[in-house]
Amino acid sequence: MEKFYSVREIWQKDASTLGIVWSDGLESSYDVVMLRRRCPCAACVDEMTGKRLLSASQVKDSVRPVAINSVGRYALNIEFNDGHKTGIYSFESLRKPEMNHS
Amino acid sequence: MSIIKGISDKIRGKRQGHKDKTQLNSLSEATVYEALKSVVDPDLHKDIVSLGFVKKVEINGSIVNVTVQLTTPACPVKEELKKQCEDSILKIRGVNEVNVTLTFPSSSRPAQAAEKKNNGLVQVKNIIAVASGKGGVGKSTTAMNLARSLARTSAKVGVIDADIYGPSIPTLSQAGKPTQMDGELVIPPEVDGIKLISVSMFSQGDKAHILRGPMAANLVKQFLSGVAWGELDYLLIDYPPGTGDIQLTISQIASLAGAVIVTTPQELALADVKKAISMFTTMKVPIIGIIENMSYFICDGCEKKHYIFKTGGGKKLAKNSGLPLLGEIPIEPYIVKASDEGLDFDSEGSKLPESYKQVTDRVVRELAILNSNQGLGLNSFSLAWK
Repeated sequence: MEKFYSVREIWQKDASTLGIVWSDGLESSYDVVMLRRRCPCAACVDEMTGKRLLSASQVKDSVRPVAINSVGRYALNIEFNDGHKTGIYSFESLRKPEMNHS
Repeated sequence: MSIIKGISDKIRGKRQGHKDKTQLNSLSEATVYEALKSVVDPDLHKDIVSLGFVKKVEINGSIVNVTVQLTTPACPVKEELKKQCEDSILKIRGVNEVNVTLTFPSSSRPAQAAEKKNNGLVQVKNIIAVASGKGGVGKSTTAMNLARSLARTSAKVGVIDADIYGPSIPTLSQAGKPTQMDGELVIPPEVDGIKLISVSMFSQGDKAHILRGPMAANLVKQFLSGVAWGELDYLLIDYPPGTGDIQLTISQIASLAGAVIVTTPQELALADVKKAISMFTTMKVPIIGIIENMSYFICDGCEKKHYIFKTGGGKKLAKNSGLPLLGEIPIEPYIVKASDEGLDFDSEGSKLPESYKQVTDRVVRELAILNSNQGLGLNSFSLAWK
């Protein structure tokens, strides 16, 4: 059965780490540069093939979010200081172990 | 509500096999509660004891009687939860029989200050808007079939046809006109156990309904509070298409539990859906999710799914809006016939009842999550990075 999680707490852990406590109590840490490199938006991932169009080298290690906002009930949007703000990260995708930093 | 008395041989065998390891302490109310803590609601991620679902525990010798209250009779996992309750209690030493009774709250919706005593809505638990950004996406058909599907789970259901200018619920249901009053409240006609009200029940024949916006909104207000709805688990409001004055007014007066948005896979329809989503968000009405109607067509010759519009429109919208896609409903030729004649789909062989059932289960689950998410998760958040 599919599981649906919501965010209980969300905060900035340090200069480049985002922390989330999920509704089931799990705590996750995310490296914001990794989040930018894995941006799921249509400009960064080919919608038809799922092929990543953005290469890791195109994103500087100095990239940081400007703001993080909830989108509907099951996703969040990150606006980055390199001007990129179209990425919508579903909670489902953020729950995947490979996204977790810690 | 049903009572299952059950100790299967399988469980008995299991108990004897692990006698010393898995058995809990001797039978008492406390050990029963302790055992029930292992039963977790799959949607709320919490055990049923913490959630306050366990209402009564009675021990009679080696027989344990437990009453568990779930959020809604339409709960799709109720049998699963019941089985888990039985299994967990059977692990306690000295238990020979377990009876789990499932109950549902009779009326949990707190009467609001604005709702007076002679208000037909006081015993209505969940009011759900069925809306779309534009017309012709099959909103009324979806509303009526959601209602039928909910009613099949033994939930009490009502439908308000708020499409003042183009009412279609009477055709879809073949409902008659209301003939009786209960005090100042109109008693709505029922079809297959579903209470229905529509503007066309109060007009003559094919006469068009020419009404100014405020009058139309007032009419819908009367449908809400001037009708003897009685005790209902779900009251669906079939919205007029678009995002105008009437839609805003209904959203303000109805204290909606949530809205379901119906769309077709086309880009154009999706553009309008975004407006509808934005309207409900502005009104602080939670959106339960998106239903993609007319998703595909299965032809009788090859059984293949033909995507006559684009594919994946609903999925894309769900992804971009962070809202769940509640389901995809196919087009079938006789949906037209059934709709025109007000037939229930179950009366003929079709894939539609299964599609609607899946959508309905998902609506019920999402709504239950919404209703109990207070304190569990954040409804919305905004974090500025330093």
